[in-house]
Amino acid sequence: MQGKQIKIDTIKDALNEFLKDEQHLVLGFETSKDGVRHRIFKSSLEHFSLLNPFFDVNGALYLRRLFSRGSQIILLLRPCEIRAYSELVKLNQIEREGITAVSIDCFGAVSAKDGENETLADVDQPKDYFKDTEKMRWTCLVCRERRGVVGDAGIRIGKDGTIWVFPYTGKGENFLSLLSGELQEAVEMAIVEHAKPEKFATDMTEFAKDISKCILCRNCKAMCPVCYCIDCVFNGDEYLPKGDALLNKVFRTGSTDMPPGKELFHMIRMYHVSQVCVGCGSCEEACPQGISLTKYFKGVSERLQGMFSYMSGRSFDEDIPYLTFLEDELKDAED
Amino acid sequence: MLEGRNAKNPEIIGFACSYCTFKASEMAGSLRMKYPDGVKLVQVPCSSRVDPAFVIKAVFEGADGVFVAGCHPGDCHFIKGNYFTRRKVAALKEMFDTFSIKDKLHLFWVSAAEGRRFVEKVSGMYNEIKEKKNAGKTN
Repeated sequence: MQGKQIKIDTIKDALNEFLKDEQHLVLGFETSKDGVRHRIFKSSLEHFSLLNPFFDVNGALYLRRLFSRGSQIILLLRPCEIRAYSELVKLNQIEREGITAVSIDCFGAVSAKDGENETLADVDQPKDYFKDTEKMRWTCLVCRERRGVVGDAGIRIGKDGTIWVFPYTGKGENFLSLLSGELQEAVEMAIVEHAKPEKFATDMTEFAKDISKCILCRNCKAMCPVCYCIDCVFNGDEYLPKGDALLNKVFRTGSTDMPPGKELFHMIRMYHVSQVCVGCGSCEEACPQGISLTKYFKGVSERLQGMFSYMSGRSFDEDIPYLTFLEDELKDAED
Repeated sequence: MLEGRNAKNPEIIGFACSYCTFKASEMAGSLRMKYPDGVKLVQVPCSSRVDPAFVIKAVFEGADGVFVAGCHPGDCHFIKGNYFTRRKVAALKEMFDTFSIKDKLHLFWVSAAEGRRFVEKVSGMYNEIKEKKNAGKTN
């Protein structure tokens, strides 16, 4: 594949040039004393960082219901964030016009909850972030889609530490033309494709045990980039058992959980995001109780997407399985 | 008391499309065919009106089995509603399979003329669940 080999300063200069226009913005990462955070840059880049070793929220969350109205925005985010963005585009939550999405090779991240993460910021070489993977988030450790091959263009890092830019769409080519340099044949990349995961399976007892700590604060819902409904079924208490229904449940099953309905909440949410879940782990990050939600959400969504050979965010052209159908399929679903 | 009654007889919630399966159940009634008391039908305008949230809620509120039933593919009153249902319910089944509760959910197609088929399907499902539920119980 042909791309441009660049230096980090080339990107900074090109983006600074791009930002001279009033209507132009860049959403990327900013370094500060206490870590790296998302930031929308206007007019100039300051403390810009290509990579972010800390995960707090998924950047696509900032883009929901964004209609750019004439402004031009370049996104320089992780692959999971760009994948969530492209799912939201397909769900008509973001207008694609005016946005150039650039995914950057991701070397994993540590949880922003982890107090000892300052040490990581001093590392110069990005691929040395995780010499020992102990601190990395479990979600990133099992993530098989950390390559910057999604969106309009990708910034990838070669085995020898060089930085490469590849265009995937017309917008990506426009982005590439901002950068100086010649097209060349690429070297081997540091992050390679991984094998497909094994089928995830669990049972209700294990699930109930794991989420028994849940306090139904619904932070996971609020921070999930693709769980976007304004009128959620869980607004109000229609879907959460109260009073009579709870007593009824005790008589039927002999027990109940407190607060009631947390399994119901997580199961319904899990189904609702199953086709678009990118497995970024925002829910786990947002959970004040530290429940390992990603294990279930990622596992279930991988199985449900696998049924239709779909992968969330892989491309802009694939339809979300629930929004389309084939006339002759799924014979074994009926009985 | 409640416990004793429910231990033997399962309760099944069925979401039935008002153009096909619900009509079939009415036909079964008019032909004096009997199907188990434990089967409660919920009439929906089209099987694709069934948000999987309904099914999950029914299971969590204590239903021993849930079925979604609609017109045969290609016969939908709303042209292609049941094709979407098929995808949604197949995915929901896969999710239930992940949690090892797959046998609680069924999907079938029954047209308005198939009163007999409706009774067969529903009683078949009822008996299957009843057998499983009472396996290992002495009384």
